[in-house]
Amino acid sequence: MSQFAHDLEALTVLIAEDGAADRLLLATIVRKQGHQVLTAENGEQAVALFAQQRPSLVLLDALMPVMDGFEAARQIKALAGEALVPIIFLTSLSEEHALVRCLEAGGDDFLAKPYSPVILAAKIKAMDRLRRLQATVLEQRDQIARHHNHLLNEQRVAKAVFDQVAHAGCLSASNIRYLQSPYALFNGDLLLAAFTPAGDMHVLLGDFTGHGLPAAVGAMPLAEVFYGMTAKGYGLAETLREMNAKLKRILPVGMFCCALLLNLSFQRRVVEVWNGGMPDGYLLPAGGGEPLPLISRHLPLGVLAPERFNDTTEVLPLALGERLFLLSDGVVDTSDEHDQLFGVERLRRVLSANRQPALLFEEVLQALEQFRGRSRDDVSLLDIEVVEPQVLSPPPVIYSDSGQSSPLDWSLQFEFRAETLKRFNPLPYLLQLLQEIHGLRAQGGALHSVLTELYSNALEHGVLGLDSALKRDAQGFAAYYQVRNERLQALCDGFIRVSLRVEPDRQGGRLIIEVEDSGQGFNVSKVLARSVSEQGLCGRGLNLVRRLSRRAEWADEGRRACVEFAWEALA
Amino acid sequence: MAVVSEVSPDGKKLTIKVKGRFDFGKHQEFREAYERKPKMPDSVVVDLKEATYLDSSALGMLLLLRDHAGGDDSEIRVVNTSSDVRKILAISNFDKLFDIT
Amino acid sequence: MSDSHIDREVLSDLQEVMEDGYLQLLETFLEDSEKRLSQLHEAKSADELAHAAHSFKGSSSNMGAVALAELCRQLEDRVNQGPLQGIEDLINQIDREYSAVRALYRAECQRVSSE
Repeated sequence: MSQFAHDLEALTVLIAEDGAADRLLLATIVRKQGHQVLTAENGEQAVALFAQQRPSLVLLDALMPVMDGFEAARQIKALAGEALVPIIFLTSLSEEHALVRCLEAGGDDFLAKPYSPVILAAKIKAMDRLRRLQATVLEQRDQIARHHNHLLNEQRVAKAVFDQVAHAGCLSASNIRYLQSPYALFNGDLLLAAFTPAGDMHVLLGDFTGHGLPAAVGAMPLAEVFYGMTAKGYGLAETLREMNAKLKRILPVGMFCCALLLNLSFQRRVVEVWNGGMPDGYLLPAGGGEPLPLISRHLPLGVLAPERFNDTTEVLPLALGERLFLLSDGVVDTSDEHDQLFGVERLRRVLSANRQPALLFEEVLQALEQFRGRSRDDVSLLDIEVVEPQVLSPPPVIYSDSGQSSPLDWSLQFEFRAETLKRFNPLPYLLQLLQEIHGLRAQGGALHSVLTELYSNALEHGVLGLDSALKRDAQGFAAYYQVRNERLQALCDGFIRVSLRVEPDRQGGRLIIEVEDSGQGFNVSKVLARSVSEQGLCGRGLNLVRRLSRRAEWADEGRRACVEFAWEALA
Repeated sequence: MAVVSEVSPDGKKLTIKVKGRFDFGKHQEFREAYERKPKMPDSVVVDLKEATYLDSSALGMLLLLRDHAGGDDSEIRVVNTSSDVRKILAISNFDKLFDIT
Repeated sequence: MSDSHIDREVLSDLQEVMEDGYLQLLETFLEDSEKRLSQLHEAKSADELAHAAHSFKGSSSNMGAVALAELCRQLEDRVNQGPLQGIEDLINQIDREYSAVRALYRAECQRVSSE
């Protein structure tokens, strides 16, 4: 029998048998097959030995004094727990009833007397295979459970970290409503919003290819660029270029991020839109009616090399009460049991039918549920209302320095020429510089707005020679920005000069900003004389500048603007 | 086989046909359709005649193919696209990278 | 030695398996069997009787005592299924058969010890 010994790892086998001769015979056979043997004369001894020595296999006589084999089998199985300890009943029981009892008590096999060493060896081997299989399954199950818990925990931590980053923004602003599944991050959906220093609002709804961790990985650098550049006053185009370049650099080919970005100016009532690969967003009219789609015109972020990336945005006029509605592809790509897509048309019908803005999300979700028969958890929805700027209260900018070393008497002059004007937005640098003046920090938002306005007037009306009268209506508005882009791309001469002068003044100080351009100038008195309603979409700029600054004048036939800010001594 | 590839007799054109749903499940097969060619043919045709659906991971696979075929210098045509598939490609503006018909 | 009492092939297999323990096995079986016989005679219930018959059947079959095992099987069946009359007669037959095989196993012990 010793040839079997080599096929098997040595096991510890417990033999419980009432008859001394049978016990001796069986112990000898099993030992000769290379295993360790423990022997018991009755069920009670068998259970005690099992608890103490944990053998891997048990040979159990059914009829024994003190405790019979059935009860012993039950107790041994209970002690073994999830591990499989095979029990082979030693019996010549011939009745079906008795065999059923053996199985019910937890027996895995039978061995009839007279014992055959060959059959016994084969059965021990088969049972050992089963035991190992079970042990492997249990080990793998536990390993999977451990990995799963580990993964869940990592997701929780990652989400907590990410929430810290994402909530640096202004998703909680009173005019924003959004809906996002709790683990949307791991669906690759990303929703960011932040105020610019001028009080404009930048919004991003993104969707990374794929699911799970790979999709979430790119979200972090994207959010960092978005928040960092928005806070520094960069425009949409620069932020987009930076995000695209960064994703192109870090993501593997084949991974990218569809994104829709908005720059909402509640002051100037315009929205700038860039959509690369996201489903159409919508501009919803205030009183209901046809929604205006915000169509994807670009490749997603992270696909094109920086030199081929297109940062052209569209600019649309806004009116109070209008709303911007953005959504992830989970909505239109929802399919029913016939593989029919929910699609854009059904969505537009829901949008057009909406009467109460507060119910829109519920109506969209309801329509999806009706279409599909069940709800889904990977939908992101965002709704932003156009409100008066004073309704929103952008958080004060947090400055990193102590405020002790504010220089108070200096002046600087810059000249930006054609090639620079094409690609470079100097505003964030100028604004950064002006942040050094602590006395002005309380007026930071106004300062940003005014500088932004003066710069875009100088560029658009001055250098590019655009007529603001074009912006009379919505069509003209679109045309205006199209021409603006064309002329900017073709620009080969012209300049904008910016001069900043800071002077101490009694206890406080003042800042004088002069912005001069190479353009034709304009009839200052005529434009300023227009009533606000006459100016409509086009004239808001000059009034805004006058309202926000202490003094604003235009000289040199409108080619040079001079604006003054002042502050009192700091306590 | 849900992804079938074929090189023209002159070795200049590789045709990859995708059947059924073109999604992450086809990742391996789609990659094998072009990666194991001793010499990458000059032009590649992706035939979506029998493709019913296409998701964003399929777009990623197309980008991988494009990269493998030479990136900006590649010549890839995506043909026989259904209107649903064309819509998805249009939203992502993939017509800027691929010749789609 | 008559082959109607003991299967000689079983005995030679046992000797091969047990090697040096063969003699001990034979002696243990004889001791065991005395215990089983008194259990048969002193049984106070059908259950006790069936249990003793079952165990005796098992050990005799292992030892190649084929006729003894068969008689024990008959006894076990009768106790479990009836009729109960004539049971004493069966027990007496078992006594006689055991006397016969005991002599044979003792002779086997002699043979092994003298080897």
